[in-house]
Amino acid sequence: MWLFAVALATSMLGGVLGMASGIFIVPILTMFGRIDIHTAIGASLISVIACSCGSAAPFLKERLTNIRLAILLETATTSGALCGVFLAGLIATPVLYVIFALILLLSAQQMLARRKEAIISLAGDTGRWSALRLDSSYPERAPNREVAYSVQRLPFGMALMYGAGVISALLGIGSGVLKIPAMDTALRLPIKVSSATSNFMIGVTAAASAGAYFARGEIVTLVAAPIALGSVVGAVLGARILMTVPNEKLRLMFIVILLILALQMMLAAFGINLLGRAL
Amino acid sequence: MKAERIVKSDLALDSQLEHVLGKLLHYGTLLASAVIAAGLILVPTSDAMGVRVTTTGIALFILLPVVRVGAMLVFFLRARDYRFGIIAALVLLIILFSYLVGAR
Repeated sequence: MWLFAVALATSMLGGVLGMASGIFIVPILTMFGRIDIHTAIGASLISVIACSCGSAAPFLKERLTNIRLAILLETATTSGALCGVFLAGLIATPVLYVIFALILLLSAQQMLARRKEAIISLAGDTGRWSALRLDSSYPERAPNREVAYSVQRLPFGMALMYGAGVISALLGIGSGVLKIPAMDTALRLPIKVSSATSNFMIGVTAAASAGAYFARGEIVTLVAAPIALGSVVGAVLGARILMTVPNEKLRLMFIVILLILALQMMLAAFGINLLGRAL
Repeated sequence: MKAERIVKSDLALDSQLEHVLGKLLHYGTLLASAVIAAGLILVPTSDAMGVRVTTTGIALFILLPVVRVGAMLVFFLRARDYRFGIIAALVLLIILFSYLVGAR
């Protein structure tokens, strides 16, 4: 029951701030629930899939998701996930905690920096990748117009996506932290398009590694199931609230939570658990 | 003129695909969630049965994005877009390979 509540709360917050909740699920399960990190990662991956699939439909309807670009980049993210599954068996648990702490810090830094709209290349200057017909357009509500965009620096974007796939499989997170900058800065996509396309891809990336862990029997049903259900409900509720822009206080609170979790994960790598003992 | 027509039919096809995928993911999520919820309700009364149903629900969630890629493959092939058909097939192969590595 408390697993359901945790997933519900984190997914709602995640939905509000437009980021995946996976990054909170693993630290919370390992620290407060004293759940083995591999079990936590497996459960988190299922929640990541559930969130991605559950929230995809509205983005598709609004024509924000670039399907062609997504399937092309998925070759990179799933290859990365394959590599991550392989690495997960080799990397020692303390090292896993350290990597997780670094990703948490990176997310905090990204929240602090805020996303800036990239200089959108207008469809007029068709890039080198026009043969793939990746360039597209999306409808903007206010002002009501069609915004055309073209895809830039594809190889760089693919390389970053591979890295995002590895991290996703290794840590059980959606890796939006890495995917969104990859799309903003490398591919130069409009923010709405990169958010929607990244969300669309996250499910397939997580499914590639979750299937492998499932086959290995590393996904514990009674941990993963309540988390998945909570995430679906949380993501739906969170997306409703997302329509209103998150305020500054909430953002600051989030950064603080990320920093605390990062510190705790770092300490956990050396066998110290401050928060868990307090409970 | 001709180029414009191609772009238009392309857009029409893509929006058809968007519609199909949106429906698939929406109802797929509902189905998997319902199976998981049913399983969890069963757990207190009949443990083994409940866990089995719940596990099936989790497997459905893992398969849902894979089915989505499969649907895209079929769609691209039917639209004679072989380049993207191959890309979709490649993604499916990588996922399959990942499962084999995991099961090993």
